[in-house]
Amino acid sequence: MNDAALDLRGVLCPLNWVRARLALERLEPGQSITLRLDPGEPLDSVPRSAREEGHAVSESGTSVTIVKR
Amino acid sequence: MTLAEMEIERYSRQLVMPEWSGAAQERLGEARVVVVGAGALGAPVCAYLAGAGVGWLEILDSDHVELSNLPRQPLFVEGDVGAAKAEVAAARLAAGNTGVRVEGRRVRVEEDNAAALVDGASVVVDCSDSFATRYAVNDACCARGVALVEAGVLGLDGLVLSVRPGETACYRCAFPVEPPPGSVPSCREAGVLGPVAGLVGSAQALEALKLLTGVGEPLLNRILQIHGRDMTQTIVSVRRRAGCPSCASRPAPTHAVV
Repeated sequence: MNDAALDLRGVLCPLNWVRARLALERLEPGQSITLRLDPGEPLDSVPRSAREEGHAVSESGTSVTIVKR
Repeated sequence: MTLAEMEIERYSRQLVMPEWSGAAQERLGEARVVVVGAGALGAPVCAYLAGAGVGWLEILDSDHVELSNLPRQPLFVEGDVGAAKAEVAAARLAAGNTGVRVEGRRVRVEEDNAAALVDGASVVVDCSDSFATRYAVNDACCARGVALVEAGVLGLDGLVLSVRPGETACYRCAFPVEPPPGSVPSCREAGVLGPVAGLVGSAQALEALKLLTGVGEPLLNRILQIHGRDMTQTIVSVRRRAGCPSCASRPAPTHAVV
């Protein structure tokens, strides 16, 4: 069950991760957000950035779900 | 307050930092910072604070731009020589970031007007060039409970100290005896190299951002000495001084604690 969703297709790095972080900031720990990302660099680096900050991340195609730490 | 689209893009390189946050950016946007002196320290301080998105910046300086300012004060250009520094600085900074309210005031900060000038500020950054002003600014910030970033620069060396009045050592706690006029050479007499002022002013700007946002650990009870000759730094611990005439009798702090 997702608590938020954000379509970040067409948003370049690092602005996509900035927007995801700002959205995460508004969530409580344990809540999740699902992102739609472009393949390539976005799908490569946004999940990595999320994991580096300690969030749980699952990927399914171009869809990435982040559970706030 | 939430960040507008333009602000998210503009501040994206700091918003992407793990240590930073939208909340930190919003705190900056709500802050009022008073910068005392638009000189060699004031130039980088003002540029970085306006650049970072401090909501309201007040620049206090009574001097005019001189040719000898240009090597270390990159806010000014040759055409500004003779113009009021506070006004030129404010215009240039406002042009650089229209989202910031910038005010330049042609006023010399002295013992009898300092308290009124710092009153209500979120943080004061002291970029003045005389001991008399520095002690006056420190005393005013202690009296009004305003957080302060002190600094000085001379030749190849500089120092920085942040102060939370009533909680941490103030400038007078660290340097209780004001040097008699003329006993320490001023930068006019002993000289100063531009990039040294740039280093020290940049450190001051960083301290102000830390005090305003709660990000990182400010130089509280610690003096940073920057030695430009060999690029070393020294940290000197300082403590509040019982009976300090500036801060000992201060009541509980009234400034916003981040």
